[in-house]
Amino acid sequence: MSQPDNTSRRAFLRNTFTLIPTVGLAGGVSLTAKAAEAPPNLSDYQPAFFKSDEWAFLLAACDRLIPGESEGKGPGALDTNVPIFIDRQMDSPYGHAERWYMQGPFVLDGSPDLGFQYPYTPRDVYQKGIALTQAYCQKQYGKRFEQLDAATRDQVLQALEANQVDFAALGETQKLEASEFFSSLLENTKEGYLADPIHGGNKHMASWKMLGFPGARASYRDWVDQHNVDYPLGPVSLTGERG
Amino acid sequence: MTARFILPLIAGSTLLMASQAFGADDTTLERGAYLARAGDCVACHTTEDGKDFAGGLAIESPFGTIYSTNISPDKDHGIGNYTEAEFAAALRDGKRADGANLYPAMPYPSYAKLTDDDVHALYVYFMDGVEPVADSAPETDLSFPFNQRWGITAWNWLFADADTFTPNTSADPLIERGRYLVEGLGHCGSCHTPRGFAEQEKTLDDSDDSYLSGADLNDWWAPSLRGGDGGDGRGVEGWSAHEIAEYLKTGRNAHATVGGEMTSVVAHSTSHLTDTDLTGIALYLKSLSANPAGENATTPDQRRTASEKTAAHLTAAKDLSDGERLYLDNCSACHLNDGKGAERVFPAIDGNSLANADNPTGLIHTILAGATPPATPTIPAQLPMPGFGWRLSDEEVATLATFVRSAWGNDGGAVTAEQVGKVRDTLKPSPLNRAPDANGRLNHDDRDPK
Amino acid sequence: MAKQQPRVDAVIVGLGWTGSIMGMELTEAGLNVLALERGADRTNEDFAYPKPADELEYGIRHTMMQKPKQAAVTIRRDLNERALPQRKLGAFLPGDGVGGAGAHWTGVLIRPTPTDLQLKSFADQAFGKGVLQDDMQIQDFGVTWDELEPHFTFFEKVCGQSGTTGNLNGEIQPGGDPFEGPRSEPYPLPALQDTQNTEMFDKAAKQLGYHPFPNPSANVSRAWTNPYGMQLGPCNYCGFCSRYGCLNYSKASPQTCILNALKQRSNFAYRTNANVTRVELAPDGKTATGVTYIDEHGEEVFQPADMVVLASYALNNVRLMLNSGIGAPYDPVARTGVVGRNYAYQIGGGIHMYFDDIEFNPFATAGATGRMFNDFSPGNFDSAQYGFIGGAKMHSSQASGTPIKTPLPKTAPKWGQGYKDALRKHYGHHMKLSMTGSVMSYRSNMLDLDPTWKDPYGMPLLRMTFDWKQNEHRLSAFMRDRLREIADVLKPDYRDESFNLEGSHFKVTSYVSTHNVGGAAMGTDPSTSAINRYLQSWDVHNVFVPGGNAFPQNFQANPTDLIGALTYWSAKKIREEYLKNPGPLMAQS
Repeated sequence: MSQPDNTSRRAFLRNTFTLIPTVGLAGGVSLTAKAAEAPPNLSDYQPAFFKSDEWAFLLAACDRLIPGESEGKGPGALDTNVPIFIDRQMDSPYGHAERWYMQGPFVLDGSPDLGFQYPYTPRDVYQKGIALTQAYCQKQYGKRFEQLDAATRDQVLQALEANQVDFAALGETQKLEASEFFSSLLENTKEGYLADPIHGGNKHMASWKMLGFPGARASYRDWVDQHNVDYPLGPVSLTGERG
Repeated sequence: MTARFILPLIAGSTLLMASQAFGADDTTLERGAYLARAGDCVACHTTEDGKDFAGGLAIESPFGTIYSTNISPDKDHGIGNYTEAEFAAALRDGKRADGANLYPAMPYPSYAKLTDDDVHALYVYFMDGVEPVADSAPETDLSFPFNQRWGITAWNWLFADADTFTPNTSADPLIERGRYLVEGLGHCGSCHTPRGFAEQEKTLDDSDDSYLSGADLNDWWAPSLRGGDGGDGRGVEGWSAHEIAEYLKTGRNAHATVGGEMTSVVAHSTSHLTDTDLTGIALYLKSLSANPAGENATTPDQRRTASEKTAAHLTAAKDLSDGERLYLDNCSACHLNDGKGAERVFPAIDGNSLANADNPTGLIHTILAGATPPATPTIPAQLPMPGFGWRLSDEEVATLATFVRSAWGNDGGAVTAEQVGKVRDTLKPSPLNRAPDANGRLNHDDRDPK
Repeated sequence: MAKQQPRVDAVIVGLGWTGSIMGMELTEAGLNVLALERGADRTNEDFAYPKPADELEYGIRHTMMQKPKQAAVTIRRDLNERALPQRKLGAFLPGDGVGGAGAHWTGVLIRPTPTDLQLKSFADQAFGKGVLQDDMQIQDFGVTWDELEPHFTFFEKVCGQSGTTGNLNGEIQPGGDPFEGPRSEPYPLPALQDTQNTEMFDKAAKQLGYHPFPNPSANVSRAWTNPYGMQLGPCNYCGFCSRYGCLNYSKASPQTCILNALKQRSNFAYRTNANVTRVELAPDGKTATGVTYIDEHGEEVFQPADMVVLASYALNNVRLMLNSGIGAPYDPVARTGVVGRNYAYQIGGGIHMYFDDIEFNPFATAGATGRMFNDFSPGNFDSAQYGFIGGAKMHSSQASGTPIKTPLPKTAPKWGQGYKDALRKHYGHHMKLSMTGSVMSYRSNMLDLDPTWKDPYGMPLLRMTFDWKQNEHRLSAFMRDRLREIADVLKPDYRDESFNLEGSHFKVTSYVSTHNVGGAAMGTDPSTSAINRYLQSWDVHNVFVPGGNAFPQNFQANPTDLIGALTYWSAKKIREEYLKNPGPLMAQS
């Protein structure tokens, strides 16, 4: 009987016994704190994925999905860099559907309860969804989405949400529906608004401050039994930004 | 028992079984293997990725880099041609077979205490129980005057003690066994006894109160091991003999978790010793009177009051200083607001020797780089402390360390951003001080199949 | 020709809970053991504070979960529907990598009741003919409470189970579950602390005459050192539990409870990114010769072994059996075959309640904080009069305050200023009443191989046929009424509810439960079970299949405690009998 190959175990033991790298030994990389990196201003940001006309749509749409202070209390999607978040997500494993099952055949006439079946990654969904919505706006209003006034933009978004925009009639062949595009857009907008700033949105944890969510502190042993009391501390982000 | 069988035991921590089974009629070779553990030979004579006892580990010394030698029984590259007398001379007198002096990075001033019987057992083990490795370790190449090995003769004459251990027959034999291990193979004084002007240990045995009274290793504070009464009640003084033995066996006890270089000592050496030997060591350390309390030393009662005050303030979480806020945002998850951590799992910071050391380097290093306790045979668990170098700036670490050193019952001094910067410059990337990946990739995900 | 590795005594497929337990047991028996894990390696370092505290990555993007790309499941609701692949995760979230789902589970560690293990016997005695659906095919587990009790006790020590004892050797204890089976020892650790919602639920449930007790938890309430010398830190109620690795090392997992101890053993090794595609059988089909896997370079490798333990997720264990020809595949029409039979699931439902003036601080919580009561478990109430069998665990658990998942009233605007206002108004003012219900097994709820879709290695995907049945709809309606009564006591300012009631069908798009069980059920009759009561394949005696696949139907609580206990139970038999005399441990009479 031969011993199993023990490379992994040896690696483990070696790891176990590795000396703490001591001060004084040959120095290396200067590891710097991430919190110091300030988030960009939305107006300075150059999108990596979205083309400029798509970007204009995204800004205009996010602004309606979570409007800014001008319409009432609380920061908006543009105040918190949500479009930057979405742009960065497009180049994440999510944007590329890297972990999903994307092999054909793609059967498009099944029940929606069995989940999405079109052959599109989120990148595709945005590109196609934006183009189709722009086509709809041109047809309906003779303008691009971002050129519409706020109330009309809301109408367009409501029409998308209710699946009243017929993407197929506008040329979509793989059964991507308006409501699906809308729900992706809305979902991603909320994610960018509420996720840790490490992902590019929720600038300075503004939404967390509004909610009273303490972020990545993740330590409440002395608070769990203080019932019905306001938690006094502001949030901290994954990279250590304090708010 | 064949060499083939012994080797995996050395490599792995399965030595537990060997040491547990250790009894009067075991062979000399097994006893030698055990003594090699007690002497922690592997720590210096094996590199991280190298073969056991092939040498080549770079040891930083005040004189320059010293490379440990190949002490495997290879006849050309190791010590295969050593007679037992030559082996004994190397161990106890620091003499190479060719008569040249070894650098005193080799703790021969301590090993001088070894009995002939134990030297014999070690010789048998190194000749018959260790796999020969036909690799030459790099030559030590110090600059003048430290490259003059003859100079060590004078050093040896001045500082090394050639006497073998003589047990005090009127003392408890268990304590005497402990003293033998501590002074001899354990060479505890190498780190824990302050050094004099020529880098010599001020004393090699307990004839002087400076013995094991704690030493600043520049990058780490090696605390006092004098566990008797008469001090300020901190550190080993506050541990029972049982707790000392538990610490050496498992790397942790109710008060502390091992850190720094001692991590490796526990992993390679003390965690493999028998309970009897560990008890002997512990009882011996408890027999040494504690360092006398300084004039400004606080009393346990004062410290307790201070601890409660800090804990209450952190829990209320109102009107926090930056240091307090940093503690809550980075440390309290494990070490908790009372700074007491969790017994055997997360070490207490309140009263921690590293946090209170005059030299804050060890604390700064731990905050920046994190720490992993050893996986020992009885406690294989490893709950690593993450490094915060990626998360905190030098100023923030200084503020945090200053808070930690003054919070609860602690009374270490303030820390500056410059001090932190110097330590940061020495950091190497490791999974523990790696920033979170925005795509959530974990340490091993880079290898995920595409 | 596949590359071949040197033979080992035992190969374990999957290094999660069951693989780790089997690894400990078989190496202790002196075997050379190799574990093959298809995901990446994972150690405590991966979960060091504060990395897991990233809701988007772990809570939403499921970064620690199985990648459908590697192993999707196709799903249909009945035998006539065309199954479609679940292209991204939704209804259930199996784990990936070393530790498996054990690294990201919630940590509710609860035993079934003695009745749950013998549900068929109970049904025969308590239900008259014609009360239950005739396509139901529930069975006894084939193992009794008394046989499993020592293994529950040991596994709970491994995990540092925290809770309040209800029945110690037959004596009912205050504060615990009076309906629990007799425990031989108390819980290793005291219960977690109560959150605001827990206190409210407890009071209301008691007012209605129920018997609430703290959720049995594997988020440990105190620091714990287990029998293997592995350690857990005290839970600090960080709020990142279910779906996350534990940043405080407080949640029992293979990493915190077993793996370092196992890796220290020189007769254990493991390989990651090693995707086992099938078990290889000797020409007579009666013994396995080893497994074939795809290594990290995409190469096919044959690993010979004297014994094979299928320790991957329940669904994948079944798929491996089907793809390897171990046991006869189940045919729901002819009602023959056993592999894929008795697939079951779990049903949930709950009432969301919003209290404008109560601050719940929902971020300060552990996965398993909360209370439950078992007054509606089988045998504790007369469900025959309502026309269903089974039961539900009724509970209020405050799983998390992570903001993306903030629940809002159904009437709240989904976007626009109204959405923002609703977020601000309701965040931190919500609590939930939940029921987690049993699901019986039925003729047409089953698993087989999909005829169309394949994985990247060319192996057919698993096809799941599953839908809610009348029995579960009735159960849901009954439990909903009970939860409504609790909500009435609590008087929220606003409430809404969601239950799977008559007419509703299984949907894969939103999360339901990762308690997928059955498909390779255990039992004492080879015509209705794929593995015997020792989890040994009836047909290929050197293949053992520990996991949720062994459940002949699901009970109303969480499966991990039972899965752990069954694995130790199986290992004991292997060590005491099988290794001395390899062969079938039960005769096929």
